[in-house]
Amino acid sequence: MKPAAAPSIQEILEPILLRYGGRPDLLLQILIAVQKKLSCVPPAAIAALAERLAIPLVRVQGVVSFYAFLSTEFQGDYAIYLSDNITDQMLGSRELAAHLCGKLGVSLGQVRADGRVSVRFTSCTGMCDQGPAGLINFRPVTRLTRDRMERIADLVNARVPMEDWPGELFQVETAMRRSDVVFRRPLKPGEGLRASLERGGEILSTWAEDLAPSDARKHHLERGGAETLKEIYKSGLRGRGGAGFKTGIKWQSVRGASDPERYVLCNADEGEPGTFKDRVLLTDYADMVFEGMTICGHAVGARKGILYVRQEYAYLEEHLEGVLARRREAGLLGENILDSALDFDIGIHFGAGAYICGMESAMIKSIEGRRGIPRQRWPLPVHHGYRRKPTVVNNVETFAAAAVISARGGEWYARNGTAESSGTKLFCVSGDCERPGIYEYPWGVTVREVLRDCGALEAQGVQVGGPSGTLINAGDFDREISFEDLSSVGTMMVFAKQRDLFDAVRNYAQFFRHESCGLCTSCRIGTTLLANYVEKFAKGYGSPVDLEEMQGIGQIMKTMSHCGLGQTASLHISDSIAKFPSIWAGRMRTTEFIPAFDLDGALAEARSLTGRTDADAHLPHPVPQEA
Amino acid sequence: MTNAFHLDGLEVPFQEGQTILQAALAAGRYIPHLCWHPDLGPHGSCRLCTVVISGRPFSSCTQPAMKGQAVACRTPELNGMRKAIMQMLFVEGNHHCPSCEKSGNCRLQATAYDLGMQDSHFPHQFPKRERDMSHPDVFLDRDRCIRCERCVRASRIYDGKDVFGVHGRGMHSTLAVNSPSGLLADSQIAPEDRSIQACPTGALMAKRVGFVVPIGERVYDREPISVLELRKYAAEEVHHG
Ligand SMILES: Cc1cc2nc3c(=O)[nH]c(=O)nc-3n(C[C@H](O)[C@H](O)[C@H](O)COP(=O)(O)O)c2cc1C
Ligand code: SF4
Ligand code: FES
Repeated sequence: MKPAAAPSIQEILEPILLRYGGRPDLLLQILIAVQKKLSCVPPAAIAALAERLAIPLVRVQGVVSFYAFLSTEFQGDYAIYLSDNITDQMLGSRELAAHLCGKLGVSLGQVRADGRVSVRFTSCTGMCDQGPAGLINFRPVTRLTRDRMERIADLVNARVPMEDWPGELFQVETAMRRSDVVFRRPLKPGEGLRASLERGGEILSTWAEDLAPSDARKHHLERGGAETLKEIYKSGLRGRGGAGFKTGIKWQSVRGASDPERYVLCNADEGEPGTFKDRVLLTDYADMVFEGMTICGHAVGARKGILYVRQEYAYLEEHLEGVLARRREAGLLGENILDSALDFDIGIHFGAGAYICGMESAMIKSIEGRRGIPRQRWPLPVHHGYRRKPTVVNNVETFAAAAVISARGGEWYARNGTAESSGTKLFCVSGDCERPGIYEYPWGVTVREVLRDCGALEAQGVQVGGPSGTLINAGDFDREISFEDLSSVGTMMVFAKQRDLFDAVRNYAQFFRHESCGLCTSCRIGTTLLANYVEKFAKGYGSPVDLEEMQGIGQIMKTMSHCGLGQTASLHISDSIAKFPSIWAGRMRTTEFIPAFDLDGALAEARSLTGRTDADAHLPHPVPQEA
Repeated sequence: MTNAFHLDGLEVPFQEGQTILQAALAAGRYIPHLCWHPDLGPHGSCRLCTVVISGRPFSSCTQPAMKGQAVACRTPELNGMRKAIMQMLFVEGNHHCPSCEKSGNCRLQATAYDLGMQDSHFPHQFPKRERDMSHPDVFLDRDRCIRCERCVRASRIYDGKDVFGVHGRGMHSTLAVNSPSGLLADSQIAPEDRSIQACPTGALMAKRVGFVVPIGERVYDREPISVLELRKYAAEEVHHG
């Protein structure tokens, strides 16, 4: 692979460092570039970067080891990651992975001896409506079938460069299945921004008597921003990223801050398995999202915005940069936006595989080039956010809604939805239904309506809001999706009657164990203990005592954990015990306690050391085996 | 003294900028804690100091005290969860108190006793972690590390060395040493460093001093940590914040 003339580490790092201005706070972006170039971040590169950026070696290593898509070991010329969400699994991803590995002659999680390729699983890649999906050298592949796997294997074996692969493998669909008042008539670029600036009113000639022209323009800008903020208040808009915090209040806190240096961050981490609306927005409605950020900049007095995008969506980079460039040309971004005194620009940062980086303060740390560990809860980002400056963090969909509110007015927006949940919401529907995809509904729609529209006639349960949300059974299908009732980031994973929901629960438990950042005791250890208990049931060793244990651990995680991850990472366990008790009862062979410790398994090492393979070297199985 | 909040029904005065934990300790009220250190500030990771305010849990080491707040702390429910947190820490690592050099001087052990922990309750995880004996005067036994990052902070703030960091994520996160080989021998650590004193367990210790004071006569052998801590704060009259 590497002939003698291969460029040295220094030669590889130079252009990358140049591109990022040698800024230590861009460490993560630099590491991503190295990973993509070399299919790893070798220890020599880590050492060189530590020196060049003047960051302690241990910290650079800490960043590399934190993110799932960075690795010190070579991942092969073709690094293949297969999405491991339950919806992928239900579409046969596990069998397909085995098939691909067979065709490639590689074991899962390992690099082929010739260094050509590796195949491993990764958390949901946000393509649940077109799975099974995956990433090959960070380009998404969708609708995987046996046939596609074979073609991929052939391309890899023949060493065809990625640029020459057939485009259909990488096709990603974004069409909305249903649109409502917002997306039936999406905004034109500049529509919301113009409205926001026009709220400043005419620049009156009478001002000119008291104010210098530049002050008059500033005054105009201030007034417009304040008026737009009023519209956001009137709209009742609440954050679409999960917690449902009132956007008006958040923006007001930053607007009212004494520090003039402020930031607007857009959260496109979209790590919640089963969620893919932000991908669709960034693909087809990027203008609306950037416009919402710019309007926010106007309302809160910020001059700089950052869009933080998960690595799974990095394939959108060129497209997004293109939209930004177009907006700059059109005077919608940059200095003196639409000839006003408004200056605002937007940059893009990427994540590198970490669900926790969707948590706002972890995202800030990630943008600052560090491990994505949440900060202390106090002070809040609106006071001490990015670079310790007042910062708005909102979800992609929240910004798109803000742009619409600016264009059409807060009252108009609030006419839709319910009393406490105004406007419309994008739903990500996947799993067992005929028409998976994105649906726009006013808040307050019932689960049953959504199931009907997407053609899920045989549903036994729905995971609403992703693994951190709520698992419901048919008895709850008449409940409404709203902050008053079933709150959700819009995710709905549907499970038909023939499914064993235990598989979903097991998938979530493994997901949380994998994604816990490790900061706090209850989440770090709790997610592992829970996943182990689930495995105990999977093997048929479960008992009622274990169910009680799991609920107790869940309660501790909910109360004691530092952030939303740990606080919600046990809900799927308690929900499934309450709503689908049979999936647990069916895995108990006894009503007594059985130790999880597998005595016979523990003797495996001794057996292999002594070369014993005979039956007498095994202990009798503690659980009566069925024929 | 107009600034005050209620801790389990009793009034606790505080100064502007103090956290609930700081104010409570200064007022002679003990809240269990491990990762917080008066000179290193809060870390918010061990979660032992969790209290409930208006039905919502907060770590008291990071939460600023606010006037009139009703803070619930030593409730049976929270104490039970604190004990469970300790049990989790014990099963996560490989702790062998009876033979540990730190026994009796160990905050982890002392806090566990103080919270009435008598068994480890949860299944042991038996992790395989690396031990670093490379340095002539200092050792690092990761089996006993609870990732409180007190050493990380002390090394940065007081020793000005950045000897430590954390690698990995979740249960796979480990304490790492800042040196080309990743070993203590190649690092800038010295046996008198604050980072070593900051370790609440037997993970990071100076060599050959472990048994200078016999077991049975060590700090927490004589007095429970909750009593000793309060006396210490009263004597020092520490001002925090
Ligand atoms: C573990 C975790 C993951 C999160 N992931 C996301 C995410 O991917 N996207 C998002 O917008 N918010 C996410 N959030 C919520 C953010 O912390 C934050 O509340 C949100 O971005 C604020 O924007 P909003 O008010 O517009 O919803 C996450 C929170 C937690 C605890
Ligand atoms: S709850 Fe989990 S993810 Fe959040 S800080 Fe604690 S360990 Fe990290
Ligand atoms: S002392 Fe507060 S979380 Fe550890």
